[in-house]
Amino acid sequence: MRYVKLPKENTYEFLERLKEWGKLYAPVKVSEKFYDFREVDDVRKVEFNYNRTIMPPKKFFFLPREKLFEFNISEAEYRETIENVEPFVVFGVHACDIFGLKILDTIYLDELPDKYYKVRREKGIIVGISCVPDEYCFCNLRETDFADDGFDLFLHELPDGWLVRVGTPTGHRIVDKNLELFEEVTPQDVCSFREFENKRHQMFRYHEDWADLRYLLELETEHPMWDEQSDICLACGNCNTTCPTCRCFDVQDVPNIDGNTGVRVRRWDSCQLVRHGMVAGGHNFRPTKKSRFMNRYMCKNAYIEQLGLSYCVGCGRCSYFCPAGINFVRNLRVILGLEEATCPPRVSEEIPKKGFAYTPSVRGDEL
Amino acid sequence: MTIPRFISPGNTFAEENPYALGKVRVLRVYQLTELEKLFLFRFEDPTIAENWTFRPGQFVQLTIPGVGEVPISVCSSPMRQGFFELCIRKAGRVTTVVHKLKPGDTVLVRGPYGNGFPVDQWEGMDLLLIAAGLGTAPLRSVFLYAMDNRWKYGNITFINTARYGKDLLFYKELEAMKDIAEAENVKIIQSVTRDPDWPGPKGRPQKFIGEANTDPKNTAVAICGPPRMYKDVFESLIEHGYKPENIYVTLERMMKCGIGKCGHCNVGTSTSWKYVCKDGPVFTYFDIVSTPGMLD
Repeated sequence: MRYVKLPKENTYEFLERLKEWGKLYAPVKVSEKFYDFREVDDVRKVEFNYNRTIMPPKKFFFLPREKLFEFNISEAEYRETIENVEPFVVFGVHACDIFGLKILDTIYLDELPDKYYKVRREKGIIVGISCVPDEYCFCNLRETDFADDGFDLFLHELPDGWLVRVGTPTGHRIVDKNLELFEEVTPQDVCSFREFENKRHQMFRYHEDWADLRYLLELETEHPMWDEQSDICLACGNCNTTCPTCRCFDVQDVPNIDGNTGVRVRRWDSCQLVRHGMVAGGHNFRPTKKSRFMNRYMCKNAYIEQLGLSYCVGCGRCSYFCPAGINFVRNLRVILGLEEATCPPRVSEEIPKKGFAYTPSVRGDEL
Repeated sequence: MTIPRFISPGNTFAEENPYALGKVRVLRVYQLTELEKLFLFRFEDPTIAENWTFRPGQFVQLTIPGVGEVPISVCSSPMRQGFFELCIRKAGRVTTVVHKLKPGDTVLVRGPYGNGFPVDQWEGMDLLLIAAGLGTAPLRSVFLYAMDNRWKYGNITFINTARYGKDLLFYKELEAMKDIAEAENVKIIQSVTRDPDWPGPKGRPQKFIGEANTDPKNTAVAICGPPRMYKDVFESLIEHGYKPENIYVTLERMMKCGIGKCGHCNVGTSTSWKYVCKDGPVFTYFDIVSTPGMLD
């Protein structure tokens, strides 16, 4: 891998130059507590030290609402309406979110690739950034705290700049084209990099082995945690909407007002909503809130053979943004026997009782 | 033990975009029962019509533009090239509109999807087909395929059940075949579970497993019906000496995409996580045992 150094004073210039490669999206502060990926005009507004964005970067590749086809109803004809996607740059993606995209790739780019996702994935340039964990992060337990690939460039924080890892040919081209902004990596920088990584490792809240979690979840389906926690759950779907690996979608045909034309749209769906498992005739394969709650835990901890990981990347969004204060990690630790089941949800008091991700301002409509 | 997926060589319209649709024309419509109709379709494009094929047990996504999409199992034999049949129950928003279709109308179809029954692996074996209610539709495809390739299979028994006599799917068709079938070691049992006035056999499908003319040691069993029936049928089959490794079931779930992306048909627990549309809808008995939640 190629390494270069970006001195701190060149950071904003580098961001400015990134705009030449396409629209620049980066994390910005959207409210007192929350950050989100937005299109950036003024690069000075970019946040480098954010904990997590509301929406994961999946929203750029798998759109919250997307037109698939246009229909002519009387002729029974349809037309593909895939737009001409312009290249774009997503700056400041954390390692866990990069893994989130890699997990989506295993679904959407398998033997029958999803055309709409694929074209955006080809056009999107990913610039990663190093981060330090807060109390909600558990990416170390999911082994997603350090991305080896899946990015074009990855910036690691140094005291006086950034250590840049170059991941793809596009990354090389970006560096080569702006070579005057970069410097060689010195032994001192390597030292600082090591120091940063050590510090980061120690900052994680939990250092434990979750290897048998998958089996215990299956064996402990009668555990009282399931009843207790699914009872608190509001079944709002916030956890799904903010999850970087949730990929469920719903498809609808929406006729236009003329009655003869229409569009087929797909939009994000949530397995916590009651109609997720409902089939024609009214039978519901997951009729209770508890069955849907358990379904999410099983899905997120299932094993992906291609990557050797589970579907959860440990970003902590589902706990951070849960309006009911349900803590995913705590519940898993209860199952693992590492925490008392009777403990109250530790985070419920700290979480603001607002901030549903699915409010119009943050659901990514402006994309 | 999973059954490999089968992708039709004639499915050229989906090569680039897996959600792409092919236009089909309704050729005939039969009212089978009060709620179910049988539709005969042909692809408009003659090349697709000739090359499009499927494996019994696979399903297609049928689109009524502007209304929506529904997954429906194909119920005809893949040996009848150029045409396919769907048996559709009026159960929801889309199927209600489907029931209004007349010969000559055009709709859109994509697929086939899923793995289907491994009919090639079954060659040389006896076949026992156990259907209840709408479950007759996918098994009719297996049955007709086996009849078209009669020399490949041993004895065949088809147990077709419904609640009431008037709901027995393909009743007349199967009755008409009975005489010829018996000469060919094919046994057809049509039974009802709740109809006191029914003149024929009465009882749940498991009651007739003992009457099958199949050799339990070498029989492929295919089951399709409402989730509730599977457990009793399994018990009875194993009691009669049928081998668990030869038991296959086909399942129903909500399917939006048909190719393992939309996530609605997910089933299982953290160690065994399946998409019914992609890993199924046909599963083996061992899949059922190791994947909790499949039958609920």
